[in-house]
Amino acid sequence: MIKVTNLQHTFSIGKRGKERQVPVLRDVSFDVKKGEIVAVVGKSGSGKSTLLQILAGFMKPEHGSIVVNAQEIAAFNEVQSAKFRLENFGFIFQNFQLMPSLTAFENIELPLKLQGMNVSERRKRVEVIMKKVGLTEVTDHYPNELSGGQQQRVSIARALVTNAPILLADEPTGSLDSETEQDILMLIQQLNRELDLTFIIITHDEEVAMIADKRYRMHDGQLVKEGEHNAF
Amino acid sequence: MLFKDQVNFVMQHIKKNKLRVFMTVLAATMGCAFLIVLASIGFGLQDSIEDEILSSETVTKIEVLGSQALFTEEEVADIEGVENVQTVLKTTSVDANVAGYMEDRDTSTSLRLVDFTDYAAVSKPLSEGKYPENENEIIVGYHFGQTLLNEADRKLVEEKSKAAEAEGTYYDGAEEGYKDSLIGKEVEIALSTHEQPDVLSDRKTYTIVGVMPEPAYEWAIENRIYMMDEQREVIENMYSQAIADLEVASDFELFSERFDIYAESLEYVKPILEELRGKGYGVYSVTEQLDELNVFFLVLKAGLVFVGTIAVLIASIGIFNTMTMAVTERTREIGVLKAIGASPKLIQRLFLMESTFIGVIGTVLAIAISYVVSFASNALLPIILKAATGEDGFNNVQFSAIPWQLVVIAAAISIGVAMISGLRPARKATKIEVMQALRQEL
Repeated sequence: MIKVTNLQHTFSIGKRGKERQVPVLRDVSFDVKKGEIVAVVGKSGSGKSTLLQILAGFMKPEHGSIVVNAQEIAAFNEVQSAKFRLENFGFIFQNFQLMPSLTAFENIELPLKLQGMNVSERRKRVEVIMKKVGLTEVTDHYPNELSGGQQQRVSIARALVTNAPILLADEPTGSLDSETEQDILMLIQQLNRELDLTFIIITHDEEVAMIADKRYRMHDGQLVKEGEHNAF
Repeated sequence: MLFKDQVNFVMQHIKKNKLRVFMTVLAATMGCAFLIVLASIGFGLQDSIEDEILSSETVTKIEVLGSQALFTEEEVADIEGVENVQTVLKTTSVDANVAGYMEDRDTSTSLRLVDFTDYAAVSKPLSEGKYPENENEIIVGYHFGQTLLNEADRKLVEEKSKAAEAEGTYYDGAEEGYKDSLIGKEVEIALSTHEQPDVLSDRKTYTIVGVMPEPAYEWAIENRIYMMDEQREVIENMYSQAIADLEVASDFELFSERFDIYAESLEYVKPILEELRGKGYGVYSVTEQLDELNVFFLVLKAGLVFVGTIAVLIASIGIFNTMTMAVTERTREIGVLKAIGASPKLIQRLFLMESTFIGVIGTVLAIAISYVVSFASNALLPIILKAATGEDGFNNVQFSAIPWQLVVIAAAISIGVAMISGLRPARKATKIEVMQALRQEL
């Protein structure tokens, strides 16, 4: 489903004219099959967030290839990337990244609005998803009226609502307490099983990585496969 | 994203920053209203002057230069042969003193001989009565009755004139004179020379059948007598009686004729002028004055619009500032939108819609305010100026006019400037990096 080959990227650091080139991704290659949960584990500054940004199309790699469902996306321009993201990727962020001025319902509805879907169909879709992630009680609540776990559920529902086959999660439990963390991880596993969704989870938390079918470790821009989940 | 959703999205953000958006709209309104009101002065004055010119003359009239105003019959036929020339009107003035007598009243007047068939075709409708059909029928000027005075009237006019003079004003005698209808009344006419005004010819009686329309100029007193061309011989005889023993200069002409050419309608005036000039006739029309006037006012209005546009540009700084702040405040939201798949074009459009909204609302309010200001200035300025100067001549002056063209120009400038002001912030919004935006503190 996803095949990443020889991904390389460098950051320029320092004042203009005195920049220093720091490699953040060195020959990163991996592949993800449909319905897999893949975790990329690494310390802060290891390059895992850069990998996510490049996978999502937020930035272009200097070198390498990313093929998703037989489409080379590394060379996409900004408009192509945005369109591809809207149709193929769902995002779950550490800080939930909900629109504070929109209700839970409206936040979940937002990607469907971007797709230009009509109101009645949007309503149906959002209601189904809200039921699935257990948010039926908080439809009209604003993000600041929700608990951290509820906010993350809204974030997950927003990622699911477009029926995107791939979900990219950046520290999905980073802002949650341990009890809520377990709830969210169980929800991810449940969605993976029931909807055959593919998850790529970027985390520094070994416990989160435990739910993954495949686990990679990022260190100084290099990615090393750690083995099958069952091997841990 | 559906257009309706885009509008809702923009309106949601505007509601969140009501005060700031209101102040920006206010600035845009003031800028645009200033532009419209300023330019409206040019339009208003142009309308006033055009009206003045057009109401004082018949617009289809083509005048002939003094020295060439005497046409031969062949020339008249030649001119009448030019396409769309309605008629060549001959008017004959009588160079003599004319006294009119009616009942116990009399007046000093002047005499015109005209062909009423031609005259009726080109003149404004009479204010009363009809054109003469018989030789002893005449029509008189609008103020003829007013100038028919008896002894009592003369005394009153004299007193009122003195009183007015003492106050530094002028009395035109409008309250005296013959007040009833003149139609059907008989008037006796006698002629005298300028040299011997007391030596009068025998009187001849005529019947008034019509009264000329009111002259365009308020100050003009029109009390001429108009009679048929055929009376030429009668007038000549009366004048001979008045000459008596007086020696008349050899080059004296009792009758002086002038010819005016009339076009069928205003649009034909220019082509007729060109053709007649091509034939060597010295002709001119009041519409040519209008052409020159239009050029002058075009330059004036362009200048006023330019000055007004500066106010709009100043207001645009406010729009730019508001939009820049909106983008900065919403950096994280823009990041989220981009992350979940909003295209850069959509984000740019949302911000442009917001600045356009400010421009449109500002313009609509400005147009409404401008009409109120224009109406108020036309109503109040004459009163204020009359109070300040004591002059009464401001009543017909239009100080401000807002034609639809001005509204269109001002709206285009104002909305255009608002959109351009929002362009840079909107572009800035599209360049926001997703991850950087998402890292912003909530």
